[in-house]
Amino acid sequence: MDAFKAVFWSFFGVRKKVEYDKDAKKLTPQAVIAAGLVSALVFVLALIGLVKLVTR
Amino acid sequence: MSAATHAQDHAHHDDHAHHPTGIKRWLFTTNHKDIGTMYLWFSLAMFFTGGVMALLIRAELFQPGLQFVNPEFFNSLTTVHGLVMVFGAIMPAWVGFANWLIPMQVGAADMAFPRMNNWSFWLVVPAAILLVASFFVPGGAAASGWTLYPPLIIQQGISIDMTILAVHILGASSIMGSINIITTILNLRAPGMTLMKMPLFVWTWLITAYLLIAVMPVLAGAVTMLLTDRHFGTSFFNAAGGGDPTMFMHIFWFFGHPEVYIMILPAFGVVSAIIPAFARKPLFGYASMVYATASIAILSFIVWGHHMFTVGMPAAGQLFFMYATMLIAVPTGVKVFNWIATMWQGSMTFETPMLFSIGFICLFTIGGFSGLVLAITPVDITLHNTYYVVAHFHYVLVSGALFSIFAGIYFWLPKFTGKMYSEKLGKLHFWLSVIGFNIAFFPQHFLGLAGMPRRIPDYALQFAEWNMWSSIGAFIFGFSQLLFLYNVIECIRSNRKAADNPWEGADTLEWTHLPSPAPYHSFETAPVVK
Repeated sequence: MDAFKAVFWSFFGVRKKVEYDKDAKKLTPQAVIAAGLVSALVFVLALIGLVKLVTR
Repeated sequence: MSAATHAQDHAHHDDHAHHPTGIKRWLFTTNHKDIGTMYLWFSLAMFFTGGVMALLIRAELFQPGLQFVNPEFFNSLTTVHGLVMVFGAIMPAWVGFANWLIPMQVGAADMAFPRMNNWSFWLVVPAAILLVASFFVPGGAAASGWTLYPPLIIQQGISIDMTILAVHILGASSIMGSINIITTILNLRAPGMTLMKMPLFVWTWLITAYLLIAVMPVLAGAVTMLLTDRHFGTSFFNAAGGGDPTMFMHIFWFFGHPEVYIMILPAFGVVSAIIPAFARKPLFGYASMVYATASIAILSFIVWGHHMFTVGMPAAGQLFFMYATMLIAVPTGVKVFNWIATMWQGSMTFETPMLFSIGFICLFTIGGFSGLVLAITPVDITLHNTYYVVAHFHYVLVSGALFSIFAGIYFWLPKFTGKMYSEKLGKLHFWLSVIGFNIAFFPQHFLGLAGMPRRIPDYALQFAEWNMWSSIGAFIFGFSQLLFLYNVIECIRSNRKAADNPWEGADTLEWTHLPSPAPYHSFETAPVVK
């Protein structure tokens, strides 16, 4: 869950220093990469959903 | 760091100064500084080569009608100018910086694979020779635009094969360079240099290297398919044989868009080093900068379709690429605001590296905004293939990537050479560049909005006035780069000894732990980072 939170903020491009330091201690690269791939997929699907919605 | 340790560094350096001299030193070197130097000089040579082509283009476009070159040669000039500047000037310049700086900034003795590093550099030289030599073969150099679109590219002569081979070699070199950079950053950091403490230049290069590894094979695949379509009877891109030229565009731009970020992310790293140094404040929002860089890199893979809105695409596809493209403005905006926040209430001084960095922020932002304009599908359908696009990407790549390369060179020249450049001449170079650049490229927005197509040697009379201004600006910009060359050579030959850290606010390892010039072998014993 923490990995997803970190990835969510990375998509926005903003992160509090305190949270970032926590991420650095807690998260493993594997978790971040997995969360990143899943989030990227969700992001693309969400965009496609939005497109479907406006072209209906 | 104490003077005693400096002395020790020097003594150590002398002990090991038994490397070959003369041409052999450069041919066989495995030293990251030597290789970095070669990359930077190579890139400067290619910058002038591509620059001469640019000035020939602008000379032809000074007036309507055909004056200097024939239309076929003009097309070759625009094509090879693009290829040379992207693959010969900007990319090798960043690899040069990476070679010089990454080992020093992470406290490593050298790159992880020094022999492969040598091979990476020496591959780019034959590739450049192939590209430039292709002007002299029957049929002339590639003339289909730097995007190498079929079917035009299938029909030309042997120069296309030379170009394809050059692209292959450059791709192999980039992949090897990236493997080296990633391994160095992940495995050779000094004790205490955690990922979160790495200078932003190292972070941006780490992400850039992953981008390169992801997309260079895609480009290699695309040009290989071109090659087999040309010589081995395949029809990947030939509609008559069941193929589709549009597929090339998709594959090419799946490479091409991340490529834009490959050229600009290291620029973000350089600017993020220079602005805190001259504002005498730590970088605002370091964590956000790292996250924004990662975000831009991820987004760069899902926006390629905005380069081809006009080729025929379902409305849903157009909307998808439009939304995704516009979202890139969010992390990029985060970066611009962070740089401004870093300067806010800082004790700023405006030496040449800072001037180029501020020039970068202002002008890159203009390029970013014109990118947003082009991201809007209906607008792009009107502006596609006009000079508006030419203006947009020159604002991003010249005042973005190139200005930050100048900023980086002036910033690190004291560390590279041990000498100070002339501040007066540096500032003159900046002002001539920024004025020449804007006269050359700002009017191209007007030309594009008025409907002037790109890649044409002649144009209708109503475009004459702004073309004249654009050419005047281009010549000012072009010739002022001779001043840059003079500045670098004058700096190397001068007696102005640079201090170990001539910049008050610079705090990365190469400034705090190493003398100027940086010794041939640095950090043989890794520093401890607190």
